[in-house]
Amino acid sequence: MTEHVLRVSDLETSFMRDKTEIKILRGVNFSIRKGEILGLVGESGSGKSLTSLSIMQLFHGTTGKIVKGSIYFNGEDLTKMSESEIRKIRGKQMAMIFQEPMTSLNPVLKIGKQLMEAIEMHLKLPKSESKHHAIQMLKSVGIGRAEEIIHEYPHQLSGGMRQRVMIAMAMACHPNLLIADEPTTALDVTIQAQILELMKKLKEENETAILLITHDLGVVAEMCDKVVVMYAGQVVEEADVFELFASPKHPYTKGLIASVPKIGDKKEVLDSINGHVPSPQNMPKGCKFAPRCNQVMSICQEESPPTVEISATRQCSCWLYAKKDVEVNA
Amino acid sequence: MPNSILKVENLKKSFQVAGGLFQKSQHVNAVIDVSFEIEEGTTFSLVGESGCGKSTTGRLITRLIAPTSGSIVVDGKEIATAKQSELKHLRQTVQMIFQDPYASLNPRMKVKELVGEPLEIHTKLSKDEREKLVLEMLEVVGLNAEHADRYAHEFSGGQRQRLGIARALITKPKLIIADEPVSALDVSIQSQILNLLKQLQQEFKISYLFISHDLSVVEHISHYIGVMYLGTIVEIGRKETIFNNPKHPYTQALIASVPIADPTLRKKKKVLIGDIPNPKNPPSGCTFHTRCPFASDICKQAIPQMRKINEEQSVACHFVN
Repeated sequence: MTEHVLRVSDLETSFMRDKTEIKILRGVNFSIRKGEILGLVGESGSGKSLTSLSIMQLFHGTTGKIVKGSIYFNGEDLTKMSESEIRKIRGKQMAMIFQEPMTSLNPVLKIGKQLMEAIEMHLKLPKSESKHHAIQMLKSVGIGRAEEIIHEYPHQLSGGMRQRVMIAMAMACHPNLLIADEPTTALDVTIQAQILELMKKLKEENETAILLITHDLGVVAEMCDKVVVMYAGQVVEEADVFELFASPKHPYTKGLIASVPKIGDKKEVLDSINGHVPSPQNMPKGCKFAPRCNQVMSICQEESPPTVEISATRQCSCWLYAKKDVEVNA
Repeated sequence: MPNSILKVENLKKSFQVAGGLFQKSQHVNAVIDVSFEIEEGTTFSLVGESGCGKSTTGRLITRLIAPTSGSIVVDGKEIATAKQSELKHLRQTVQMIFQDPYASLNPRMKVKELVGEPLEIHTKLSKDEREKLVLEMLEVVGLNAEHADRYAHEFSGGQRQRLGIARALITKPKLIIADEPVSALDVSIQSQILNLLKQLQQEFKISYLFISHDLSVVEHISHYIGVMYLGTIVEIGRKETIFNNPKHPYTQALIASVPIADPTLRKKKKVLIGDIPNPKNPPSGCTFHTRCPFASDICKQAIPQMRKINEEQSVACHFVN
């Protein structure tokens, strides 16, 4: 078995508001191996993006703080590192692409300069070589006229091209882990298909592990090896992608999968999940999904469900699967 | 033939784009030539990628903007050239639901004012009568009377979209233009809203012009579909025919690009190359030729005409017989 590139355990992240601590992530656990694509899914407000920001430790200018848990990256705990140590890793061994490429590229710097910044800083290459490397990277993400593009500004490119530039930038130092937060959500469907194919190709060539955050179950089904389903700041189910779509266990996962309209499906009325994600200040007692669950039992409203190991590759936090004699330790 | 509620013919809109210091101003043809018809009680969807002109078409039909040329017949009346003063009646017949339920509701109005506002404009009902109708309408869209005194920010995204629907529905319109009404919502909420729209259609015999980029959603809700590319409809017809037997290479590529939520159906995709051309400077001939895998010389020279290839489907492509 290949080793874990990333192992997140019991991660809790909080924000401060009016001197009170608001816990957003309440114990997140998952791991990614080399060359694996892990999909992180859930509705807005479930804590997907905050999980990625916690891994990258991008809390600058916010009151966000990791209060508990560990994030092992290549065997080292990121939560114990200083900002300067993290800086050496961030952008080099671990890189991130965001949903909206226009807001993450600097509008007043030419593409070439932005790309070379990371290359010069992390790979310590001289200018001429870093320029050559930048052009190579742009070509590897399918930008044909790379020599011209390095002299252009982000606004001169289309959305798909900008996202390619972001990917080239993220992949420039051959990271072990790429975090992609809704990388294709802002793109049209034909461009989305291009970018997803590109990410698959780069993963295969470089054995990069990818944490893919998305709300689109179609993208998950096409791209991922493993899926983690989040709800209200917790992981409710983790499974191999084929298992998850064939037989979802958690009522939330079931609801999510059934809500997606499928082409060719003759169903007149779509399934849906009643209600909405609770706000962090008004979290229900017990299972956080209980108020929306169609299989809710009395225990769900009282106590948090334990995480049950259903098989070696799959876990689910739900009272439906807990054995009666299981002691509650959550 | 059932009654046609909307008939659009050769609709065109060009916008003037201001030039730079030494540049002349330019014209951008957002909608080049669009024709379609919507029958009473059915849903017609316009699909296409960003910049194809689908939202502009929707705004032309509500006459939020005036067309450059062409005809728009709503419920038997030509409105393409109607003056502002004549449009008040139209606004009662044609209502709109917007994409962003956060931006389209006035944050300083209570729900009963928000939903009741169209009645204040279009009817002479008293305050009490209006309030009674508002409460009924809230029930219809799945909210209730206790919500009437709250403000929009107290609601979740899905509930706000319900408010937007209530506001559109209260004037008893015959046609609702829904511009990406579920794009900003999570999938579990999206399905609630889609179910509601369908249920309202059956209950009130409303027609929808549904504008969306999401083909799975469109397939679920529509009866007829028009596929747009750079300001023109390239393929139009019955939903089942378009999805089961798409003829235009663009429609084929669009359907093939949709990610399918079933990992057992994974396959290597035929990915469409390139980007959508800039509408300021559209390609000659068939505007799709720059990305089309089957393009030949004729496509660069001649604009393909829309032709009916069977009872249920029309296509604008040189190679489809």
